[in-house]
Amino acid sequence: MSHNGDLVVSGAPAAAPVIRVNGVSRWFGAVVAVSEVTFDIMPGITGLLGPNGAGKTTLLRMMTGLAATSTGTVTVFGEPVRDNPPLYRRIGVMSEHETVYGFMKGREFVTMMGRLRGIPNLEAAVDHAIGLVDLADAQHRSMETYSRGMRQRMRLAGALVHDPEILILDEPLNGADPRQRVHFKHLLQQLATEGRTIVLSSHILEEVEQVADTVLLVVNGKLAAAGGFRAIRAALNQRPYHVRVICDSPRRLAAAVVALDSVDAVHVDPDGAIVVLSRNVLDLQIELPKLARSETITLRRVEPLDDSLESVFGYLVEN
Amino acid sequence: MTGTVFDIGYQRYTGIREGRGRGRIAVFKDGIRTALGFGRGAQAKVLPWFFIAVLAAIAQVMALIAGAAERIAGPGTAERMNLPSHSDYNGIASIIMFVFAALVGPELLCRDRRDGVINLYLVRPLTGSDYVMSRWAAFMAVMTAAAWLPQFVLFLGLWMSDPSPLDYLAKHWRDVPRFLAAGAAMAAYATTLALFVASFTTRRAYASVFLVGVFLITAPFTIGLAMETEGALGQWISMFNLTNIPVHVNDVIFGEESEITSEAPARLLPAWVRVGWYFAWTIVPGLVLWSRYRKLTP
Amino acid sequence: MLSIYQLTLRQLSGRARLLILVVLAVMPVVTAALLLAESGTDSVSDFDIGVLSAGLFGSILPLVVLAIAASAFANEIEDRTLANLTLSPVPRWRIALPKLLASITIAGPLIALSAFLTAHIGFLGEWKATIAVTVSAIAAVVMYASLFIWLGLKSPQAVGVGLLYIVLWEGFFAGFITGVRMLSIRYYAIALMHGLDERRFVDYDHLSMTAAVVMTALVIGGFFFLSVRRLRRMDVP
Repeated sequence: MSHNGDLVVSGAPAAAPVIRVNGVSRWFGAVVAVSEVTFDIMPGITGLLGPNGAGKTTLLRMMTGLAATSTGTVTVFGEPVRDNPPLYRRIGVMSEHETVYGFMKGREFVTMMGRLRGIPNLEAAVDHAIGLVDLADAQHRSMETYSRGMRQRMRLAGALVHDPEILILDEPLNGADPRQRVHFKHLLQQLATEGRTIVLSSHILEEVEQVADTVLLVVNGKLAAAGGFRAIRAALNQRPYHVRVICDSPRRLAAAVVALDSVDAVHVDPDGAIVVLSRNVLDLQIELPKLARSETITLRRVEPLDDSLESVFGYLVEN
Repeated sequence: MTGTVFDIGYQRYTGIREGRGRGRIAVFKDGIRTALGFGRGAQAKVLPWFFIAVLAAIAQVMALIAGAAERIAGPGTAERMNLPSHSDYNGIASIIMFVFAALVGPELLCRDRRDGVINLYLVRPLTGSDYVMSRWAAFMAVMTAAAWLPQFVLFLGLWMSDPSPLDYLAKHWRDVPRFLAAGAAMAAYATTLALFVASFTTRRAYASVFLVGVFLITAPFTIGLAMETEGALGQWISMFNLTNIPVHVNDVIFGEESEITSEAPARLLPAWVRVGWYFAWTIVPGLVLWSRYRKLTP
Repeated sequence: MLSIYQLTLRQLSGRARLLILVVLAVMPVVTAALLLAESGTDSVSDFDIGVLSAGLFGSILPLVVLAIAASAFANEIEDRTLANLTLSPVPRWRIALPKLLASITIAGPLIALSAFLTAHIGFLGEWKATIAVTVSAIAAVVMYASLFIWLGLKSPQAVGVGLLYIVLWEGFFAGFITGVRMLSIRYYAIALMHGLDERRFVDYDHLSMTAAVVMTALVIGGFFFLSVRRLRRMDVP
C-alpha cells in the first residue's frame, strides 16, 4: 500500500491497485469535508476509520461514485467510477442509511437488486446471498417488520447477490448484536480470502483491528495514516511505547532499566508495576530479560499498553 | 497533610427545571423558526419570504396607485374611482395566503411525525395537545403578521399620500381595527385548514397538493355552477367556494363587498350565515386537528 | 427496467392517495353533468374556459400529475433509497424512463377517462370534440409528467415550485400576458385541442397545430433529457 502525506507505510510492491484515490478533495460551500486525500486500495480488507465528522462517509460516497469530487479523481479497476454504470456490476455497496423499501419482503428486495444487475441464475444467487447473511427464515416477511440488525443483513445480501469483486461497506455493524458481529467477521474474512477487495468503515476499532489487513485513518478530512496499524504505530516515533512490567522488585528493576539506551523513562505505578517508555521496543525485548536475570528479578508479566489500534487512533486524533 | 481531589467530571444539573409552560413556548418559537425557514439554509427561506414579499408588494402598489390618483385628479378620487382599498386587498391576499399556508404549513407538522421526532416532544412534560396548539399558535402568528404587515403598509401609504392626512385619519381610523380583525380571520382560516390536512399525512408534498387542489378546484367549479343556478341553491353552491369563505367575513366587517366577492351569489346571504359558515369551516377542522394530536403518546 | 417500473407503481399507489385523486378526477365530470342538467346546452365558450381550461387542464390535470410524478423521484430522495437504483449498472435513462412511464400509467387513465366523460357529457356526445379533448389531455399528462419528474430530481421543494408554476405562471400570469402562453404546457394542450377541433377555444390566439405538436415533443423530450442528465450528475443521498 502506498500513499503520500504524513506517514509512509511499507507494504508489498504493487500489483495494480483496485481502487485509486488521487488528490481528492470535496467541499460543501465553505466546509471542506475531504482534503487532498491520496491512497490506493488493494485486495483484502481495508478499514476506514476516523472520528465522527472526519469525512469517512463523504470519502466512501466519492469512492462509490455516489458523490462527485471537487478536485481529484477516483478510479476503480483503472476506470473513473463516476457516471460509469457498467462498473457497478463489479461493486457492491452498503451505505450507512437504513435504506430499504418497507413494503417489500426481504427476498423481493434481494431479487430486485439481483435483477437490476442482470445476473444469471437469479434464484440461486438470491438463495446464496440470503444464506450468507443467515436470514433464510425471515426472507418472506416484509422488511418493515425486521429489526435493525436484520435490515442491515438483508441489505448486505443485496450488496452481495451479484458476487462483486469489490465490497464497500459504510458502518455495516450498526445495530448488530455480538453474535452477528462474529458471524459478519467470519463472512468478511471468507470473502477476502476469495480474492475480493473489501473497504469497511467503522467505529468499532477492535473488530476492524481483527479483520482489516490495512487501515486508513481519516481525521478532519485528511488522511492521517495508512497501512498496517502496527507499522503505523512504529512510525509514530515521537510517541514512545508504554510497556508495563510486573515483577517482584519493581524499584530495583526500574533503577536498572532506566540505564538502558532504548529506554526514555520509567515510572512506578501505585500498584507496584512499572511502566517503561521506550522508542525501541525490539531492543527492549532483548535487553529486559537479560537485565532481569542479571539482577535476579523475576518478571511476572510484560505487556504493551498502547499496541492497539485504539491507542494509535487516539494519538492521531488527539494530534 | 490532607488533600482533596476534585472530581470535575459529570455533574448533575442542579438548576431550575422548567415545566410545561416553557415547553410550550419552546415549541411555539421553533414553529415560527420552521415556518420562516430560519436555521435551515437558504432554500428553506425562499418560499415563505417570497410570499411575504409578494403580499407586501401588492399593498405597496395599491398604495402608490391610490396616491397617484389623488395627486393627479384631486382628493377623494380614490374613493370615487373605487380604487382597491383595505377590503379589496384582503380579497386578493386571501388567495395568496391560502397558497402560502398550503406550502409552508405542513412543514410544521409532517416532518416531526415522519422522522419520529414527535416522540422526543412527547416524552417531555408536553402533551400532544400542547404540541399541536403551540404549533398552531406559531403558524397563526406568522400568518397574522403576513396579513397585517401589508395592510399597515397600505394604510400608511394611503394616509401619507392623502393631501390632508389628518382628515384622512379622522375619516378612516376605523379601517385599522377592521383590517386587523379581518386579517386575523383570514389567518386563522388558512392556518387551521393547512394544519388540519397536514395532520393526515406524513409527506408534506401530498398535504400541499391536496390543499391547493381543493382550493383551486372548488373556485372555478362553484363559480361556474353557481352562475347557472338560481336562488338559494346557487347561493349555497357559491358558499362552497373555499377561497371566499374568509373574504365573506371580511365583507361583513367592512360592511361592503370586496372585488372578489362582488359577483358571488353567496354575498346575498345574511351576515350571520356567512360568519357562521366561516366558524364552521375553522372550528370543526380545528377540533379534529386537536383531537388527532391529543391522542398521541410517545 | 421492468423492476423499476413495478417498484414505482407500488411506491406511488397508496389506497388513500388514489382515492383522493379519483375524487379530484371525477369533479369535472360532475360539473359537466350538473351544468348540462341546469341549462341544457351550455354556452360553449363558457364551458371551454370555465370547465376545460380552468377546471380540467388548469387545475385537476396538473395537480394530479404533480402529486404522482414529482413523488416518483422526490420520495426516493427523501427516503434515501435512490442509491439502490443508481448503484446498479442500469443506464440512467433506463432508470428515468420507467419512473416516467409508471407516473403516466397511474395518472393517464384517470385523467383520460375524466376528460373523455367531461367532454362527452359537455358536448352532448359529439365525437370529434370528445376525442380532441381526450387526446390533448393525454398529451398534457405526458408533458406535465416529464416536467415534474425532472423537478422531483432537481429540487427538494419540487411540489412547492410545481404548485407555483401551476398557480402563478399558468394560472395567473398566462391569464393576461399572452407571451406567457407560448411557454406554458396548459396552452400547448389547448392549442392541440384547437388543432384537432377548431371550434374549441375559438377566441384564443393559438400556436398552429404543427407548432403545438413540436412543442409537445420538445417538452417531453427536453425534460426527459434533463432528468437523465440530472441523474448522471447529481450527488445521490
